[in-house]
Amino acid sequence: MNLYQNKRALFYVLPALLMVVIFVFLPVVLNFVNSTYRWNSFSTERVFVGLDYYRRLFTDPVFYTSLKNNVLYAVISLLFQVGGGLILAAILEEKFMKKFQPFFRTVYFIPSLLSLAVVGLLWQLLYQPDIGLINDFIKAIGFKDFSYAWLGNSHAAIYAVILVSQWQYTGYIMMLFLVAMQKIPRSLYEAALIDGANRFHTFIHITIPQVKEMILVATTFTVVGAFKVFDEVYVMTAGGPGHSTEVLGTMLFQSGFRNDEMGYASAIGTAIFVITLVLSFLQIKVSKTGQEQ
Amino acid sequence: MINKKTGLGIVVMITILSLLFGCSSGWVPTGASAGKRVQLRFLEKWPDPEYAPYFEQVVNEFEQTHPNIIIKMEAVADDPMKDKLRTAMGGGHLPDVSFSWSGQFAKKFVNAGAALDLTKYLNDDPKWKNSFIPSALQPFQFNGKNYGIPIRLDGKFLVYNKKIFKKYQLEVPKNWQEFMELCKKLKNHGVTPILLGNQEPWAAIHYLTGLNQKWVPNQTLMKDYNPKSGQFTNRGYVKALESLKSIQDKGYFNRNINSVRHDFALQQLAYGKGAMMYLETEEFTDLAKEMTDDWGIFPLPDITEGKGNQNYLTGAPDGFIISSKTKHRKEAIEFLKFLTGKKSQEKMVKMNHWNSAIKGAVNKNNALKQTVEAQKYMEQTEGLSQWLDTAMDSQVADVYLHDVQPLLNGKMTPEQVMKDVQKTAQVVRKH
Repeated sequence: MNLYQNKRALFYVLPALLMVVIFVFLPVVLNFVNSTYRWNSFSTERVFVGLDYYRRLFTDPVFYTSLKNNVLYAVISLLFQVGGGLILAAILEEKFMKKFQPFFRTVYFIPSLLSLAVVGLLWQLLYQPDIGLINDFIKAIGFKDFSYAWLGNSHAAIYAVILVSQWQYTGYIMMLFLVAMQKIPRSLYEAALIDGANRFHTFIHITIPQVKEMILVATTFTVVGAFKVFDEVYVMTAGGPGHSTEVLGTMLFQSGFRNDEMGYASAIGTAIFVITLVLSFLQIKVSKTGQEQ
Repeated sequence: MINKKTGLGIVVMITILSLLFGCSSGWVPTGASAGKRVQLRFLEKWPDPEYAPYFEQVVNEFEQTHPNIIIKMEAVADDPMKDKLRTAMGGGHLPDVSFSWSGQFAKKFVNAGAALDLTKYLNDDPKWKNSFIPSALQPFQFNGKNYGIPIRLDGKFLVYNKKIFKKYQLEVPKNWQEFMELCKKLKNHGVTPILLGNQEPWAAIHYLTGLNQKWVPNQTLMKDYNPKSGQFTNRGYVKALESLKSIQDKGYFNRNINSVRHDFALQQLAYGKGAMMYLETEEFTDLAKEMTDDWGIFPLPDITEGKGNQNYLTGAPDGFIISSKTKHRKEAIEFLKFLTGKKSQEKMVKMNHWNSAIKGAVNKNNALKQTVEAQKYMEQTEGLSQWLDTAMDSQVADVYLHDVQPLLNGKMTPEQVMKDVQKTAQVVRKH
């Protein structure tokens, strides 16, 4: 019997559909409506402003700083988390590492279990210029008077913050790849080795094509994550110094909950939604995901 | 006919739907099981383990003496409180008695008609009204009416290490010029004159709160801090930024101020790694633990050529407002009277080491020597200049907060900062 002809089946998916409509689609629409009004928690009336907030958004230099930082976040995360995670996983799957794999797997994975607020505070301490471990280490290897303000310098701060996410999530992505790699039939490698392929060849021609699906999942995961990032940045720098580490998430929070401009915050929310939606669509299109060979 | 499977489906769906909608607050039975007892929702700002016990105790005592009232207390920390109050307002569920900062922040509730006018209740009980320090009540007054009841005062003072001052035979400065000379001497002795942890920029903003007060005439300040008429064109604002920047340019602060946390700087002071730091009176307890008695305080020195009122102190009361929608006005007032009663306030001073909004609650027996001194300053002051980030419109304050780090980094000039401020003030004025 065709599932679509069965009216009762429709009845069963109704609760899930309702949930998605109420908690996903409705908020998206409401958010857009909200962005066309000037309002905040304290206002007694909502003033219709049309698309004014979008006009302002596209001329706001902070928006472009945030966007740039989000893109930086995405690019670096792709390189380190997806690229690095893949290589790490391949190394751990090598024969000579098999014995130590459980140990390294655990060590690399632990950071992703910690709460973001804890990680943010931890790294804030590490980055402290005069008593932080990082500067102390650099001093210990010979640079006596070294004192660099990692989070206080407007050029370095964003990289210092991004580094923390790499430290936290590379192990997680690596874990995903390990699971995918363990599904690859050994016979493929054996056949290749008989044909004279070396380790590098097997990595390029067997491992990567075999975990392609996981690469695409991990890519979507990190890129969308990079555009939604908030906690790490907020805990470590709150967007400072100046606006140099501002990302779309912190900008939205600041506008809505500190500056009392809920309309503007909603407009930023819509921008984030459009960006992540387009990126997800692109990735689904490019990867034709779900069609495992 | 409904068969078994469909019946099951309906049950499952009802369960899921009730899970979805069942969480709304309407389901909580309020006071129904407690007979005629009235329930007051009370929101305060101190979940910290060193401060929370006081509120638990005082609420307990109140409930014992007022058996018909139950207090449902909730504590939310300083920063999340800003979101909590906004979401409570947005959701239309402001607690009966809730915390509020004074100044512009309280005014938002007043403008939205969410804060109850308390003038009548204060006038009906002159003894209660007169028990407050005038400078503590005043920041909750708008258009001649009272909207908030202050519970404590929090002032800002320069704290100095007495040992270091004694070692180099230095004295407390009487004005800004002497202050700068003092810093110079300290620096020549190889001591960091002032510690500043400006990773979160409110630390530097607190300097500006005082410096604006010293440089800009009071009338102008009042006009500019009002979102409807703010222009910020007075030359004094630039002067204030220059004064702050000059401390940095002359090297009187520690290194890397913008990436040092405020609490780390405080530790450094406690360990004698610097001579002075600008601190709130609520932080005196932390200091007393580490520094025993080797420290003294003085207010931000006067700027002789400044056009502002030099007799103001930087600081603000923290207090409570009553929701205009509350059904239990009488009980809420009763509770606030209990909180600000001398007995509760003396207990607060003793347990939490805070400065009180009530006359005579701070004394030698229940407070630190320095707290008593600070209290004296605050009782005698002409007025309080409230924290810049709560005293002015939040959008304008946001510009200050974001520009002060680049200013100290040398990436912006005082004129550029003020240009930013003026631009935002103009946008705010129009709305």
